[in-house]
Amino acid sequence: MAKLLIIAEHRDGKLSTATLELCRVAKEVAPALGLEPAAAVFAKDDAIAKEVANYIPEVFVVADAAVAAYTADGYTQAIKAVVDAKDVKGVLIPHTYDGVDYAAKAAMAISAGIVSNVNKIVAEGGKLVCTRGIYNGKLQETKSVTTDKFVISIEKGAYDPAEAGSAGSVSAVSASFGAIRTKVKEVIATSTGGVDITQAKVIVSGGRGLKDADKYKDVVIPLAQKLGGEYAGSRPVIDSGWTEASRQVGQSGKTVTPDLYLALGISGAVQHVAGMKGSKCIVAVNKDPEAPIFNIATYGIVADLFEVVPGIMSSL
Amino acid sequence: MKIVVCLKQVPDMESKFKIVDDKKVDESQVAFKINDFDNYAVEAALQLKEKLGGEVVIVSAGPDRAAKDIRQAYAMGADWGIHITDAAIYDADGFVIASALAKAIEQIGGVDLVLTGVQSEDLQAAVTGVMVADLLGIPHCTNVVKIDTADGKAFTLNRELEGGLNEVLELAGPAMLSIQSGINEPRYPTLPGIMKAKKKELKAKSGADLGVSASSRTAFIKMFIPVSDSMAEIIQGAPAEAAAKLVDKLKNEAKVI
Ligand SMILES: Cc1cc2nc3c(=O)[nH]c(=O)nc-3n(C[C@H](O)[C@H](O)[C@H](O)COP(=O)(O)OP(=O)(O)OC[C@H]3O[C@@H](n4cnc5c(N)ncnc54)[C@H](O)[C@@H]3O)c2cc1C
Ligand SMILES: Nc1ncnc2c1ncn2[C@@H]1O[C@H](COP(=O)(O)O)[C@@H](O)[C@H]1O
Repeated sequence: MAKLLIIAEHRDGKLSTATLELCRVAKEVAPALGLEPAAAVFAKDDAIAKEVANYIPEVFVVADAAVAAYTADGYTQAIKAVVDAKDVKGVLIPHTYDGVDYAAKAAMAISAGIVSNVNKIVAEGGKLVCTRGIYNGKLQETKSVTTDKFVISIEKGAYDPAEAGSAGSVSAVSASFGAIRTKVKEVIATSTGGVDITQAKVIVSGGRGLKDADKYKDVVIPLAQKLGGEYAGSRPVIDSGWTEASRQVGQSGKTVTPDLYLALGISGAVQHVAGMKGSKCIVAVNKDPEAPIFNIATYGIVADLFEVVPGIMSSL
Repeated sequence: MKIVVCLKQVPDMESKFKIVDDKKVDESQVAFKINDFDNYAVEAALQLKEKLGGEVVIVSAGPDRAAKDIRQAYAMGADWGIHITDAAIYDADGFVIASALAKAIEQIGGVDLVLTGVQSEDLQAAVTGVMVADLLGIPHCTNVVKIDTADGKAFTLNRELEGGLNEVLELAGPAMLSIQSGINEPRYPTLPGIMKAKKKELKAKSGADLGVSASSRTAFIKMFIPVSDSMAEIIQGAPAEAAAKLVDKLKNEAKVI
């Protein structure tokens, strides 16, 4: 039977949760498509592959020095080798930093259409229908693939990780590697030091809606202090230097789970929500009633934050 | 150095989006601007040109309205550009758009570096640049937050990773880099820049002019407004009144302060 193949992701010998999320998707949709779920692991040896086999029935491993470290060229060639050797119909890739780097290239290598950043896949009449966020999450669209093979990248966190089951099979696939044109030197930490906002019980977070550095300082910081909490921000706030990098919440910043997360002038892009959706109580103040942040908030006020925050200050 | 920046005009995301016939956004109420990530790419290109000399060329596929934002990049300092004005291209999928961009880059010739944004704010696909690189047969790096080059040929790059990590890597040009926000501080056009922009060359091209033969590999089905099953309780009233009610709820209902 043809395969629905997930590509495992790992760093420093550690499997990513995105991989386990893909295992769940593959096992869920493969039967309705008449496919069998399988995984491919590219690594220096088969240690990770054995781990992945606890979550999916069949694992193919390309164990080669060429894929000991991630590169787009290495991963693309390895995917092509597995697709050629095994009867692979579709490839699922995590929409993570590495996934974004090779998914479209892998699709080109196997002449497949790609639908990226997908949050839901269903099979309707044996055909794939992919749902994805567009317009910064304000709208959604559905898409399908018109080529024989398909590649889909899945938004991180859209599915729960699969649970471990009985051990599946692991078998080797050999690949001959051509040129690998990027050379990895090292992985470095950029945001070491600074304040640790992850322990705060209350976080007041400001977004681009704060307009400038002075307004951010005048509005966000005093409210955080009055609530005895920490202040934080969305990526544009850090990009513009309104506050320090250690206070960024989101996919490329910190993950926080305070009792209260107050989002002021933040639209609620998935990359931001990834870092704060575990908060106990989320309050959103935004003048746009359609801002996606309201879809995950506990309480919302649709108004100008510069009028609402003084009201909060005086009620405390 | 000859640097191409792929630039997309996108709606301002604070616009009110109304969907027509489940398949497109009503553009009459929408303001347009440069895709935020592409603005950082333009600035990165201009900084390389200032350091090493050469020219910055803008390539954009989109309706006539996109010319405004190509000229915005000219006003920042870009030199000239190609506007792919063919709806059969810009209304097609990422593969067709990437094929047209790659053909335009081949026509320009002698390109040392192609820059794109990390993703478009409207489609959030993050695929176009990687496909362009593949079609041109050049290496690429996505989510670039730092570019180091002494000669415009050998590059040391920082690629952003999860949780505040960066991968430092090396590659040789010509190459494609997708530029992440925060890599620089994009400049604002100056008045002389805006005056000069009006005279800079903008070549209009169709798919046929570029020799594009690709067809879409994906099909759009429909568009809709997501319904959340965990929608916030919206607190009504004038701002001060709503604020007071919120504080009361946080104290007595959620009990979080
Ligand atoms: C790979 C990658 C990683 C990323 N990582 C992160 C990350 O870690 N963290 C992160 O935050 N983002 C991240 N982003 C960026 C993310 O996609 C969004 O661009 C960003 O979160 C938007 O920030 P924002 O909500 O502050 O700004 P915007 O999206 O511009 O929203 C501003 C909001 O303020 C509202 N507003 C404006 N004025 C007022 C007012 N006076 N009163 C009330 N409301 C007002 C507007 O209605 C709007 O909703 C990442 C993107 C990529 C591609
Ligand atoms: N129609 C277009 N014209 C020019 N560049 C584009 C176009 N669409 C996408 N791009 C470029 O590709 C990047 C990624 O877009 P996407 O793959 O749609 O997320 C954007 O940031 C642009 O640099």
